[in-house]
Amino acid sequence: MEVTQSYQVNLEIFQGPLDLLLFLIKKEKIDIHDIPISTITKEYLDYLHQKERINLDREAEFLLMAALLIYIKSQLLLPDEKPELEEDPRQTLVDRLLDYQKIKALSSVLKLKEGEELKKWKRTYIRTNLPEEEEELEDISLFDLAEAFFLLMKRKEREDVRLIKGKEFTVEEKMREIISILEEKGYLDFYEYFYDHASLQESLVAFFALLELIKARIVLAAQETLFQSIKVWFRKKPRTSFTE
Amino acid sequence: MKERLKELLESLIFVSLEPLSLEKIKSVLEEFTEKDIEQGIEDLLESYTANERGIQIVLSGGGYLFATRPEFDDYIKRLLQAERRSRLSRAALETLSAIAYNQPITLSEISAIRSVDSTHTLKVLLQKKLVKIVGRKKSPGKPLIYRTTERFLTHFGLNTIKDLPSQEEISKIMEEGAEIED
Repeated sequence: MEVTQSYQVNLEIFQGPLDLLLFLIKKEKIDIHDIPISTITKEYLDYLHQKERINLDREAEFLLMAALLIYIKSQLLLPDEKPELEEDPRQTLVDRLLDYQKIKALSSVLKLKEGEELKKWKRTYIRTNLPEEEEELEDISLFDLAEAFFLLMKRKEREDVRLIKGKEFTVEEKMREIISILEEKGYLDFYEYFYDHASLQESLVAFFALLELIKARIVLAAQETLFQSIKVWFRKKPRTSFTE
Repeated sequence: MKERLKELLESLIFVSLEPLSLEKIKSVLEEFTEKDIEQGIEDLLESYTANERGIQIVLSGGGYLFATRPEFDDYIKRLLQAERRSRLSRAALETLSAIAYNQPITLSEISAIRSVDSTHTLKVLLQKKLVKIVGRKKSPGKPLIYRTTERFLTHFGLNTIKDLPSQEEISKIMEEGAEIED
């Protein structure tokens, strides 16, 4: 079969090797249940050859698939000794392709739905510049909080920080400290607060203190928008109505 | 109040910022019977479809909420001087699809289905709270397992995960030769 080079398609547009395979199958109008392996392998390799160099981080999967195709091809070349028992070596690949095809179809359904949905404005979206209202904030999960904390600690680790040992901190002390900051300033900036701590030990104690306060529902940690600083407030009484 | 149940329900949905579930309504309106409430909701929804209104009540993410009608999108954007939140990338949609059809699922299972490493995409979806960690799989390495969230449902205007086409329906759509656009 002739390979048409008029189709100059970039490898980058494919999500992965299965995506590229599906494209080739469609382009060659191949029956997915009966893939001519040598044709498809040749086509596939031609696409890889279009690239001057393979970025191993991003494109190792493409090479892996090439190896698999060649392996299947070699299996098919071996003499068939007991044809009744042997599974078609292509079967696993076909199953994967069919599964992936479903995922792809669902994602185009989702894309349409997302488009429709984005045109319907809901009250949840119409929350503009109201960060002071706690109801407007993204309540933050423990997972997010811990992740933010460890990221911060990692960042600090890289800096030249001298450890001053000696003073021990207790969770109670740190809880009091957090409360007094809240009483004074009204809020506490998560990053600022932990960044000022001298040692990892102190930071950890303070982090536990913060978790205790959250657990006791005295304070609330929230993020105004994604990727923005996390702030801590006193928890207000839940609003029951708009008459407040 | 009973004869004004429809309006009462309307006001409850109006003040809710999150989808208001039928269970929640029932727990708040304890003096009404469940049957009356259900009938009231039905009447309310009907009055919105029958009348010419710019807003509608939609069932999304497990509850009722007000939404504008899609045809006015352009004008609303003008008023709010806002662009809509950006749409999800193809990788994100694909990863969500893989999770939606196979949940609960691990990262390596997602990557295997997509044939591409999905670490970064999954991280973005977690940050957007479209997926969540629901525990660890009891298998070597105890990998984390993931599910889609309620926000996933509202993002796509779904009430429950069952509103998605089933895998059989999807296969049928593909057999009928529908073009899958990218």
